[in-house]
Amino acid sequence: MNRLLVTFQKELFSYCISPVSWIIAVVFYLWRGFEVYGVVYSFDYYRADQDLLPSATYGLTSTFWMVVLVPGILTMRTFAEERRTGSLETLMTAPVRDFEVVVGKWAAASAFFALLWLPSVLVLELLQLGPFLDADLAFGPVFAAYLGMFLLSGMLLAFGVFASSLTDNVLLAALLAILFDFGLMQGPRMLANNLGAAGQNYYVRELLDKFDVMGNFANWFARGLIDTSQIAFYVGGVAFFLFLTGVSLSSRRIA
Amino acid sequence: MISVSELTKRYGPFLAVDRLSFEIARGEVVGFLGPNGAGKTTTIRVLTGFHPASSGTATVAGFDVAADSLSVRKNLGYLPQEVPIYPDLRVTEYLHYRAKLKGVPSRERRVAVERAMEKAGIADVGRKLCGQVSHGYRQRVGLADALVANPPILILDEPTSGLDPNQRVRIKQVVRELANEHTILFSSHILGEVQEVTSRVLIIHRGTLRADGPPDQLVARTGVSTLQLGVQAPAANVLPLLRELPGIAGVPQVTADGASSTFTAVVAAGHDPCAEIGRRLLQAGLAVRELRLDRPTLEAYFHAITEGSERASEPVAAATSADAEAAR
Repeated sequence: MNRLLVTFQKELFSYCISPVSWIIAVVFYLWRGFEVYGVVYSFDYYRADQDLLPSATYGLTSTFWMVVLVPGILTMRTFAEERRTGSLETLMTAPVRDFEVVVGKWAAASAFFALLWLPSVLVLELLQLGPFLDADLAFGPVFAAYLGMFLLSGMLLAFGVFASSLTDNVLLAALLAILFDFGLMQGPRMLANNLGAAGQNYYVRELLDKFDVMGNFANWFARGLIDTSQIAFYVGGVAFFLFLTGVSLSSRRIA
Repeated sequence: MISVSELTKRYGPFLAVDRLSFEIARGEVVGFLGPNGAGKTTTIRVLTGFHPASSGTATVAGFDVAADSLSVRKNLGYLPQEVPIYPDLRVTEYLHYRAKLKGVPSRERRVAVERAMEKAGIADVGRKLCGQVSHGYRQRVGLADALVANPPILILDEPTSGLDPNQRVRIKQVVRELANEHTILFSSHILGEVQEVTSRVLIIHRGTLRADGPPDQLVARTGVSTLQLGVQAPAANVLPLLRELPGIAGVPQVTADGASSTFTAVVAAGHDPCAEIGRRLLQAGLAVRELRLDRPTLEAYFHAITEGSERASEPVAAATSADAEAAR
């Protein structure tokens, strides 16, 4: 357990000193800043119900691309880089278990991703102040929405870590993860709309519904609803991909 | 401390290590020799638990490398051939991280890192980023990493490759110092270095063990030395005299240059005819310009068993295993 923590600290430190992380943060917040400004402006202009303002910020284009692009970019180096430079050998010949390395790396990526989102919560808090909206935004729905975001991105980051463990090509790892993320965000809904008669089948509909992460986010988390089956879905997804990473890592041992 | 039995490792159809067996006792410093691609690194990777063996067993510090890899790794300091270190960490940060990962308690960590840095001779680059230190220093950062948890066993895979002569001397010195406290397996293909540092060498070639024993004994087994002789006289005057000496197995090379001639003779094992030659040449009134006996080197031996024909190498292996038995 202690070694998991050591790996976590080291990886988080690496994220914090990596220029890539800060470039992502700057680009994201510039873009998001403009978008949120637009939302606030139009809410003010149309005198819309300010309680709905947080949920209007979840569906922004910047949110979508942040979730599609960033997990893959953050996790691309986790194992691919270690494989490429050979430091995987130094790492795995230290007295550390495979799962401690895998979970430590994933946890650090998740923590850093959460850190990237933190300022957007602060923006909502700031907007409540007098000079801006002078509103009293409900904390519950905001918490639920960010929990949903955290769970979804946790799963995507777990896939990213897995993709990175498959190759020693950092770019390929990122591309794999981005394709997966994009596919998961768009695929189930597109399938549901284009399946025709088969889409009417109860089981197919239920299955696609479970995987429709965008729809689930909008219909549940963004409305402040926390559904345990969805938590189980994302936690299961994280466990599944981290397990696959462990298998991929130990495949070097298969002779 | 290290025991390898019938170890075989295949990469697909390629047989990298073929039924390799050897034992290394506590406190021994053993050189692990072989040409490039002989299977040294593969064997080391099996011992460190990074790769599994295809068949056979290996134990390190009493633990099986396959069944109890974690305990093996706790007792092992490993310096890989190419030392990869995280370029964005400072040297001390990297070593602190490695010490934590290896379970050095926080109270002892600072001292452990400082001691390892001092032993490896990198105390002056602690603040530098790992990515900015030279190759020689990087190799030594790797050595400090291997030492930081003070493990009883050290496996060093070509620790001197790519170093300049001064750095090599420094590493050899460090290994000699470490020999008092650690069991060391030291792989290299620079033979002189191994001869200086280790008390025993294992030579592998094409994945099989070809020789095992103290370097001087192995060298003695090569048998022949060469005699270089230069005389201020025509060759015909000297040759009969040279040929009748005991121990001279042949004179394959004679060069005559006007009044002087040079001879290269093969001398059988255990003979040193220099004094006798000198005496006889003096008696005959011939002036000696050069008289030198070149004893066999580990290099010659290594060459004989790794480059020589398979036929030539087999008897050597047989002789050495008999010797190893005798040594035990």
